[in-house]
Amino acid sequence: MSEARKPLDSVVIVGAGQVGVTAAIAIRRALPACAVIVIAETSDPRDFADHAASAMPFSNRLLARLGIDETQIIARAGGSHRLVQRFFGWGGSGSHGALAYGAAGLDGLSAFGRDWGGGSRSVESRPMPTSLSEVLADAGRFGVAEQGERTPLAQVEYGLRWQTPAFHALLVNLAQQLGVTYRSDPVSQVDRDTSGNVAGVTLASGEKVEADLCLDCSGVSRKLASKVAGQPFVSWQRFLHDRTVMIAPPGQGMLALEDRLSLTARGWLSEFAGRDGLQAMLGVADGVSPEEARASLGVEPVGTIEVTSGRLADAWTGNVIALGDAAAQFEPLGYFHLDLAHRMLDLLLEMLPGKIIAPVERTEFNRRAGLMMDGVRDVLAFHYAAPSAQAVFEPVEQPGSVAAMLDQFTRRGRLPFADEQPLTGATMQSLLRALGFAAGTPPQHHSGTGGPAAAARQAFEARARAALQAAPPYPEWIASQLR
Amino acid sequence: MMVKPEPVRVVVLGGGTAGWMTAAGLAKLLPDLADVQLVESEDIGIVGVGEATLPHIRAFVERLGIDEAAFMKATHATYKLGIDFRDFGRIGESYIHPFGSFGESVAGVGFHHWWLELQRQGLAGDLGDYSLAVAAARANRFAPPTQDQTLASTYGYAYQFDATLFGPFMREFGMAHGVERHEGIVTSVERDGESGDVAALIMEDGRRIEGDLFVDCSGFRSLLLGGEMAEEWEDWTHWLPCDRAAAMPCTHAEADIRPYTIATAMPAGWRWQIPLQHRIGNGYVFSSAHLSEDEACEAIRAAAEGEPLADPRILRFRPGRRKRSWSRNVIGVGLSSGFLEPLESTSIYLAQMAITYLIELFPGDGGINPKDRDEFNRLVDIEYDRVRDFLILHYHATTRDDSDFWNHVRTMEVPDSLSGKLELWRNAGRVETYSDGLFYDASWIAVYVGQGMLPERHDARTALVDPDRIAAALQRLQGEIGRSVSAMPRHLDYLKGEAARLAAIP
Repeated sequence: MSEARKPLDSVVIVGAGQVGVTAAIAIRRALPACAVIVIAETSDPRDFADHAASAMPFSNRLLARLGIDETQIIARAGGSHRLVQRFFGWGGSGSHGALAYGAAGLDGLSAFGRDWGGGSRSVESRPMPTSLSEVLADAGRFGVAEQGERTPLAQVEYGLRWQTPAFHALLVNLAQQLGVTYRSDPVSQVDRDTSGNVAGVTLASGEKVEADLCLDCSGVSRKLASKVAGQPFVSWQRFLHDRTVMIAPPGQGMLALEDRLSLTARGWLSEFAGRDGLQAMLGVADGVSPEEARASLGVEPVGTIEVTSGRLADAWTGNVIALGDAAAQFEPLGYFHLDLAHRMLDLLLEMLPGKIIAPVERTEFNRRAGLMMDGVRDVLAFHYAAPSAQAVFEPVEQPGSVAAMLDQFTRRGRLPFADEQPLTGATMQSLLRALGFAAGTPPQHHSGTGGPAAAARQAFEARARAALQAAPPYPEWIASQLR
Repeated sequence: MMVKPEPVRVVVLGGGTAGWMTAAGLAKLLPDLADVQLVESEDIGIVGVGEATLPHIRAFVERLGIDEAAFMKATHATYKLGIDFRDFGRIGESYIHPFGSFGESVAGVGFHHWWLELQRQGLAGDLGDYSLAVAAARANRFAPPTQDQTLASTYGYAYQFDATLFGPFMREFGMAHGVERHEGIVTSVERDGESGDVAALIMEDGRRIEGDLFVDCSGFRSLLLGGEMAEEWEDWTHWLPCDRAAAMPCTHAEADIRPYTIATAMPAGWRWQIPLQHRIGNGYVFSSAHLSEDEACEAIRAAAEGEPLADPRILRFRPGRRKRSWSRNVIGVGLSSGFLEPLESTSIYLAQMAITYLIELFPGDGGINPKDRDEFNRLVDIEYDRVRDFLILHYHATTRDDSDFWNHVRTMEVPDSLSGKLELWRNAGRVETYSDGLFYDASWIAVYVGQGMLPERHDARTALVDPDRIAAALQRLQGEIGRSVSAMPRHLDYLKGEAARLAAIP
C-alpha cells in the first residue's frame, strides 16, 4: 500500500529577489502548512534572473497558476507585451529577422496527443511566410484575449515585460498575503545535521532557522550551494567566452511589441522597450577596448558587468536546490534567465519532495534540470555560431549538440527533437533563421507537391487577417487596461 | 530555381509488411528523390507481423493519403482501444493498458497520486474506472475520439487487422505509385570493391538489380544487414526469453467484437486474442527453453475459443537489435534490424518509425552523409531501447511463482535504464519523463498499477486535501465517463454502420 509522503514542514529560501519570492509563493501555494522563510541577501549585478524585466511565454502560464495576475502586472508594474524579438545584422549587414513566439506547442494537442506522442518529434522546416505574432507586431496591433474567450488572438504567444521594482513589490505583497515570513538580516552560518545535510541557517541576528529543504536563490554568490560539498561548477567558457556587458542609462519610455538584438562591429546590442524606459546593453566583443565599446553604445554606461558562463553540475545536492543564477549563469542575450529559473521551479513543483528526500528523485530532477540548463547554453551558442557573429567575436568551440543541430538544420531543414529546451519547434526555427542560418530543404520538399504548402499559406493568411481585425492598436489597448 | 537531383536508386529486399510499407512510403512521399524497386519471391513466406497495431499507424495511412475506410475494408480491420492484460501481475487479475490517459492532474499533482491516496483510504475504484478508453473497452463500445480538450479527446484508437492482407494492400498502393517489383530469389550480393557498399543484388536467373541504397526488409534472415554487412546483434533473450510463437486463427465465438486485444499470461509466456472482422487471431508467445513447440501448439488449440480455421503455425524469433541499423548503404527496416515480441503491438510501429526517419534523413545529392547515418542509428536505438524496457516491465512486475519461466523473469536483473525507473517509481511514485520514443507516463502507470507494483510513497500534497473532496471529484469523473460510454454505440454496431469499412459482415 502506498502512503502519502510526510510533507515538508519548513523551507528556507535564501535570496529575496524575484526568483526567491516567486519560489516562496509557489511553495506556500503547494503546501499551505509549510513554514516558508525568505532571507534577504545582498544582490549582485550579475544576478540577471533577479533583475530580469521580462521572460518568455512559459512564465506567463506559471505566474498565472501562482495567482500573479497579468492585468495587475499591466496596471501596476508597467507591464507590456513582446510579440517578437527582432534581429538586425546577424545574417550579414543590413539583414533582419525575427524570433517569434507562438509555435503551436503541445498545449494545442488533445489530451491523447499529449500522452501518446511517439514517433518522430523532429520539426521539419516549412517555408512559413511568417508567424501571427510577427504580423501583429508589424501592424502594431495587439490585445490579450479575455480568459476563455475564443478570439483569433487567443493563440498568440508573447513575452511579458515589467518594471522590476514594481513587479517585485507585487510578488512581495502576494507572498505576505500567503504568510511567507521574511528576514532582512543575512545568513551568517549554515548549520548541518549529523548526516551532513543542511539543517538550517543562523542569521546575522543570531536567530536560528530550521529547514527541511533549502532553496538557494542568492544568485551568483551561491550563499548555500557554495557551502555544500559536491556541487562542482561546470564552466561553459569553452563554448561561451567571458563577456563584458555595458549598460546604458535608461532612455525614453516606449510602448512597442518588439525588442531588438543587433549585431554590431563591436558586439551585440540589446534594446529593450520598457514602458518606463528603453534599456540598451552592449555585449562587448572580444578585444574591443572600453573606449570603443562606449563609443559604440553612444552614451556613458551606468554599469559594466563581467559575465562568466557555466552551471552547477547538480542543481540539487543534499537538501539544497539552486534556482536562478545560483544554478546557471550566463550573459543576458535574450530573455532566458528568468525563463530558466521558472522552468526549474516548475520542475520542482512537479517533483516536490517530501520531508525525506529520496536520492533517486534528486537524480531525476538533476537530469532534467541539466537538460534545461544545457539547452540555454546551446541557444546562446547558436548566436556565436552565426556566420556574421564569427566575424565579430573570437571563435569558440561549438557544443556537439549545437554542431549536430546546425548540421541537420542547414543541410536538411530538420530540427532534431530534444527534451527540456527553452525554445522548440517553430520558435527555434525562427531564431535560427533570424541568426542568418539558411534552412536546408527537407527531402519531402524536393518532391514538388505544392498543394499542401499553398493550402497552409492560405489558411495562415486567413488567420492573420482575422487576428488583425480582432486586434486593436496596441497603445489603445494598453490605455484601456490602465483606465 | 532548385536543380532537381538525380533520383536515388532504392532497392528494397523483401516483400513483407516492412518491405511494402517502405517501398510505398518512399514512392509516395519522395517521388522525385527516390526511384524504388522491390525484390520479393513468392516462394518465401512472410511473417505478417503484428495483427494489432498502435494509434501511430493512422498517421502513416493518413500521410500516404490512403482512405481510412478503404484501408480498413482491405485489411478486415476492427477498432482497438488498448490491450487487456490478464494474469500478468498475479493469476486472476487483469487490467487494460488503454490508448489514453487516466483522469488528469489537479493542482500540479499527477492524477495517479490522488488515486493512490484515495485507494489507501479505501475510497477509490479500479484505476481503469477513471479512463474513458478503458471504460469503453470494457463495455465493448466504440466511437471516434474528438480533437478538442474535452473528455472525449482523452483517448485514441488503432486497428486490429489481418497483417497478411496489409502487406498486399501496401503492395498495390506502392505499385500504383511507381514501385517496380522484381519476382525471384536473390542468390548473391555484389559489393563495390573500393567502398564496400552493396552495388547490386544478383538473382537466381542472373538478373542484376543495381542500386544506391538498399533497404533490408528480408525479415529475420537479415540477408544484407546481418549477413552481408555482418552488423553485430545485441541479444536481449536474458530479459525477454520468449523466442517462439504458435499462431492459430479461429472463428468468432461470440456475437460481439471486442474493441481491444487480450494478452493472457501463460506458464511459459503469454497468448494473444485479436478480434478482426472475419476471425480471431490467436497465438502463444513462449520461451522454447521452457516449453516445446508441440506443447505450445496443444496449449493454443486448447485455449482458442472459436472453431480453429487452421493448424497452429510456429514462428521463431530472437529479441534484440542490430548494433547499427544503418550500415554503409544498407538500412534495416523491420525484423532485419530488430525484434521485440508483440506484447505491446509495437512491430509495425517500429518499421513505421524507421521509415519516417529514413525519409527525414534520406540521402541527398552528395550520397550518404555519415552524420545522417549516425542520427538515424541514434534515433532507432532510442526507440528500440525504450520499448524494450517497457516490455521487460510486464514480465518483471509480477508475483507469479508458478513456473520456471515466471520465476526467472521475476527475479532476473533488469537493464540499468529500467532499474532507475523502477526505483523512482517505488520511492516517489514518479515516472521518468521523456518525449522521444514510445510509451509515456500513462502507459507506465497503467502497467505498474495494473500489475500490482504500487509505489511505497506518493506525493505529500494529496494528503493535505479533504479525502471526501477528492472522492467526490473522482466520482464526478467516473459519472462523466459512464455517461460518455453509454452514449457510444457498441463496437459491432458502429462497424455495421460503416459499410465502407466492412469486408466481412461480422
